[in-house]
Amino acid sequence: MARSYLFIPGNVPRMLQNMDVFDADAVIIDFEDAVSLTDKDEARHLTQLFLRDHLPPSLDIYVRINSDAQLMKDDLIALETLDIQGIVLPKCDQDTLKEYEASQANFRVIGIIETPQGMIEVEKTAMHPCIDGLILGAEDLKKEMGFTRSSQTLYYPRQRLLYAAKAANIKAIDTPFTHLDESGLSEDACEAAALGYESKCAIHPNQVPTINQLFLPSEADLMAALKIVKKHEQTNSMRFSLDGKMIDKPVIDAAKQLIEKSKRYGVKGVL
Amino acid sequence: MPKTVSVGTLESSDCMMTIKPHHTTVITIHTVVHEAFYDHIKQTIDKMIAAHNLKNVHVICEDKGALDYTIRARLKTAIERYKDIIHG
Amino acid sequence: MIIHQSIKDLFKHLPLKDGLNISFHHHYRNGDVVLNAVLNELYTQDLKALNLYPSGIFPVHTSIVEGLKQHRINNITTNYMNGPVSAYLKAHGLPGELIMQTHGGRARAIEEKETVIDIAFIAVSAASKAGDGSGLLGQRPCGALGYAVADAQHARKVVLLTDTLVETIENPEIKGADVDHICLLETAGNTSQIASGTLSVTRDPVGLKIAREAMRVIKASGYFKQDVSFQSGAGSVSLAITQMFVDQLKQDHLTASFFTGGITGVHAQALKDGLVRKLYDVQCFDEAAIESLKNNPNHEPMSASLYASPSNEQRKIKALDIVILGASEIDLDFNVNVTSDSYHTIIGGSGGHQDTAEDAKLSIIVAPLIKARTPLIKHTLTSRTTPGKHIACLITERGIAVNDAHDPTLKTTLEAQGIQTLDIQSLMDKAHALTLVPAPFKRPKHRLGYIEGRRKDVLDTLYWGERDD
Repeated sequence: MARSYLFIPGNVPRMLQNMDVFDADAVIIDFEDAVSLTDKDEARHLTQLFLRDHLPPSLDIYVRINSDAQLMKDDLIALETLDIQGIVLPKCDQDTLKEYEASQANFRVIGIIETPQGMIEVEKTAMHPCIDGLILGAEDLKKEMGFTRSSQTLYYPRQRLLYAAKAANIKAIDTPFTHLDESGLSEDACEAAALGYESKCAIHPNQVPTINQLFLPSEADLMAALKIVKKHEQTNSMRFSLDGKMIDKPVIDAAKQLIEKSKRYGVKGVL
Repeated sequence: MPKTVSVGTLESSDCMMTIKPHHTTVITIHTVVHEAFYDHIKQTIDKMIAAHNLKNVHVICEDKGALDYTIRARLKTAIERYKDIIHG
Repeated sequence: MIIHQSIKDLFKHLPLKDGLNISFHHHYRNGDVVLNAVLNELYTQDLKALNLYPSGIFPVHTSIVEGLKQHRINNITTNYMNGPVSAYLKAHGLPGELIMQTHGGRARAIEEKETVIDIAFIAVSAASKAGDGSGLLGQRPCGALGYAVADAQHARKVVLLTDTLVETIENPEIKGADVDHICLLETAGNTSQIASGTLSVTRDPVGLKIAREAMRVIKASGYFKQDVSFQSGAGSVSLAITQMFVDQLKQDHLTASFFTGGITGVHAQALKDGLVRKLYDVQCFDEAAIESLKNNPNHEPMSASLYASPSNEQRKIKALDIVILGASEIDLDFNVNVTSDSYHTIIGGSGGHQDTAEDAKLSIIVAPLIKARTPLIKHTLTSRTTPGKHIACLITERGIAVNDAHDPTLKTTLEAQGIQTLDIQSLMDKAHALTLVPAPFKRPKHRLGYIEGRRKDVLDTLYWGERDD
């Protein structure tokens, strides 16, 4: 249900201890790209002690671990006793998932699909029992595929990942926008939202308000959903027509979810 | 190889923890919150070096307003790295 | 009007003696050259027991330290101070007293003859041969001259110091009738240094969070409507709030009636865009503001008295709806310190803090709850700049606390709009959960002076020296 997934570098105290003030719905503490190879132990200790002492309530917390086998093992040991929502697995494909399974850790997993291999296996990955969601990692994918980033070139990977996620009934999270200019961000997020994405990664706290706003259900959507649920409750029926449209179970479920999300994030008209 | 380890940074809310060999055990703390937290920081460091049975070291803490968890985390990493060096 | 070619020349015609009361303004901020030039020449002439009345003291003002070292300065009365003078006073004190006034209080004290200035040294970017002074004309403009007006009107002798002589000045802020001497300098001041410091909208995410929360409170408060009036400072968070405030006016198709105080390019753009009808400018904070004051007839300069003097019934802030103010410390009764750090070094001062807090209907304090490991909320303030009874609420990145003692209805108003509030004690507890409880600070041994309220009330004592063990 989260709209924004904010990456927080795992070795920067100033960012860690403020993770709950940036208004992100979820945070991903990063042990991978944001931490240099020689500082992995620093990040593990810092994150470990922070979460033990100051676990922020009412915030979904994930940790992005490393995909390298030895680093992954050490990362998972450091996270063992921590109360987190799950881990984020980079370069996610069938091989990295096997690596993760071999560690015997039992965190829920959000996989980042950021390699060609990961993309052609995405349907299988989405169905994997430990997988809770998928993130599109367009920047790495771009490098490996050799495309330049645009709404056209992102169309296929966004679509394919979204179908895989929806079919498996797991979360689909849009790729981060890596430029720190705001107008580009909202355009990028709007494109993802138009395809059906309901959340997006943020790589800087200042991206969070824009993302939260864009993935907030509109007042009109909320009114429509309230109307559907009201009629469903009045008629006690799973199949009826409303304003000339046929309503059935998936529509009712979606409406209920939208109302829930609106309540949680304070859309006007739901109070 | 010099037997000195340094962990952390001098950015705000962080601290840099350095350990090197010394003929006795000495702790040096420079902190931007001296009056308010020097005693807390000293206690935290004392406790941890005792718990890890660390002796004959000079521990230098350059503190830029790190919270207690950061001081402990930096020191923990530093102690682990120091022991790795000393014990090969 | 006598025009002198150097300060040395000028001094031959001034009634110089030990114990002089002399004043300066701080419109050039850290780009000021006049104060140093004048003091150094006074030292050359071996004058002693000087009493200084600069409206603000900046890091550039090292001649004051020199004068203190040479035991030539007795008392200092000012509204704002940081840099080496602060450090010197913390370490050595001064023979007389340091009095920290407010902008409104300084003007009032001069107008009511509590403060008697023997000679006012007023830097202007241009002077006319008739003695009119402007901060807008010439090569090195500094903008509005609001803090110098009372000095010009009431000092026994008034000197303009400038690098530019012009034939005439239209609507001069400093009137020739008040001026006795003009002294030419190579430069009147460095315009480029005016905007040095924190004069840009913050990108710091914690600062932006505070700004967003402040904007939510402003919108929910009931004061944000057609013809609202608004003031905020030039700190980076304040400026972010001003930007959000202006954007919201635009989005809601509203116009503000006026903005007061120190003016920046953000304010000037809003005036240009028709989102606010008047800017009342006591001090320009950047070159964009200076340009606007020069060219836009709805951007008006105002004197410190017209801005904030409690005795001036026409003062602009009397009609002010909302003011955004900072704090370096706040206590559980919402008393605010912006004067000294926890080691009792002066780091700023009231400026217009107490004046606007008292007069505005909604006085909002914005500040980070924790800075590095230092919590904002204290049981005991290092010094009290503004009484808590004037403060409506405190906004931090970790919550909003409403001062029921100021306005018992505000909390209900905000909560009805979906804004959660905390009591200030819980907010303090939240900070301590992260920082732990700081050991109490001991204050230094010696009295340095005091903080004076805008009506001459004493708000707190200032100290210098090592802590009292």
